[in-house]
Amino acid sequence: MSLTHLNSRGEAHMVDVADKTETRREAVAGGRIHMRPETLALLAEGGMPKGDVLATARIAGIQAAKRTSELIPLCHALALSKVSVDFILNEDDASVDVTAICRLNGRTGVEMEALTAVSVACLTLYDMCKAVDKDMSIEGIQLLSKTGGKSGVYQRSPKANRTAGASSMQPDVSSGNAVAAKGGVLDIAPIVTGKCFEGSVSVTLGDDRSCINVKCLAELRERLGVSDIDVAFTTLSEPTVAGLKSALEQQDERFALLREQRVLCAVNQVMSAEDTPLTAGDEVAFFPPVTGG
Amino acid sequence: MIKVQTQPFDVGEEQRALLAGRTDIGAVVCFTGLVRDFNESPEVQGLSLEHYPGMTEQALANIVVEAEQRWALQGVRLIHRVGHLEPGDPIVLVAVASAHRRNAFQACDFIMDYLKTRAPFWKKEHTTEGHYWVSERSSDKQDAKRWEVS
Repeated sequence: MSLTHLNSRGEAHMVDVADKTETRREAVAGGRIHMRPETLALLAEGGMPKGDVLATARIAGIQAAKRTSELIPLCHALALSKVSVDFILNEDDASVDVTAICRLNGRTGVEMEALTAVSVACLTLYDMCKAVDKDMSIEGIQLLSKTGGKSGVYQRSPKANRTAGASSMQPDVSSGNAVAAKGGVLDIAPIVTGKCFEGSVSVTLGDDRSCINVKCLAELRERLGVSDIDVAFTTLSEPTVAGLKSALEQQDERFALLREQRVLCAVNQVMSAEDTPLTAGDEVAFFPPVTGG
Repeated sequence: MIKVQTQPFDVGEEQRALLAGRTDIGAVVCFTGLVRDFNESPEVQGLSLEHYPGMTEQALANIVVEAEQRWALQGVRLIHRVGHLEPGDPIVLVAVASAHRRNAFQACDFIMDYLKTRAPFWKKEHTTEGHYWVSERSSDKQDAKRWEVS
């Protein structure tokens, strides 16, 4: 098992999902916020100073799901076909269960969206109620189920729950819907977000990801007569600085200059060596020894 | 504070800014590098300073961070100019404040040595005889080596 968000250098990168097949994907996440019984009573009767707590938290959760790619660095921007956030008030232990469902037809899972929706809905509940209760605690934010995609169906087993007690009150998610079952029931139809681009997945980390952008600086630029050149990543015999130099030399023999020992190299603006690995989209600069100051 | 700029700077102003509102600083050392009218060849009429935007700022920031880890400092201002410069023009300013003079002297010396060997700046000199890129000096490398911790 490896971490898909790390490349061979152990650096963060975004997973290319262009070649994945589109499937219907759904993820359900849950979480819980504990509060004093009086706070829960006030929340239930709509007596909070900031107004309708649950409606606000629901909208906050839905908005957050749509903005997950802005919050989590390596998440793709997704056109979700459905987001819903539901609440169950538990009078027994003075808590609110929050459940979020996200769905789309696409190439990447939506569990981060569901988890983000739950997190932000919980934070909004806290914000809306903090004037009367500062001891509230948010806990047990977790993925409950996930369907679609290569990894298949995931269903949280009761054993996987790290917070004792959280499992007993989880809504039945096997049907794919959070069913409000206990206590003060708030059974509101899921909200479908505006436009639904079936299966479209946009990758937001701009520019051309299939090339290495090579820059030649200062004296080297003048000697080579080249300042910027893009090299197709696939033309590299090996994905390193040395491989890039060979690929450049094959394009034009003038690049043999780069083999001079005094020529320095920076990959993504960090000083590098011949064996430094490269990935598509990297910026590689070659330059002579520095003479500032 | 680190700046890469084309405009000139005023050492007095920069020192005042470094010390403004502070009474815990006991020493401030300011180094200013200037354009000479002779270098590898006589009659230098001017020079062009090129850099690698983005990497330059990061490299300078790393040097200052390292200085702050080695010595107890109470502020650093570092300005490096780029573009066209003429003899007598200030190129670089390193101002270091500390409670005691030794730290300020040493940190300033260290920052300049590392700047000269690690920050991506390149000088091209213009003389009556023509233009050429200034070559690196082995003495700069040796100076930087003094700070290597064994």
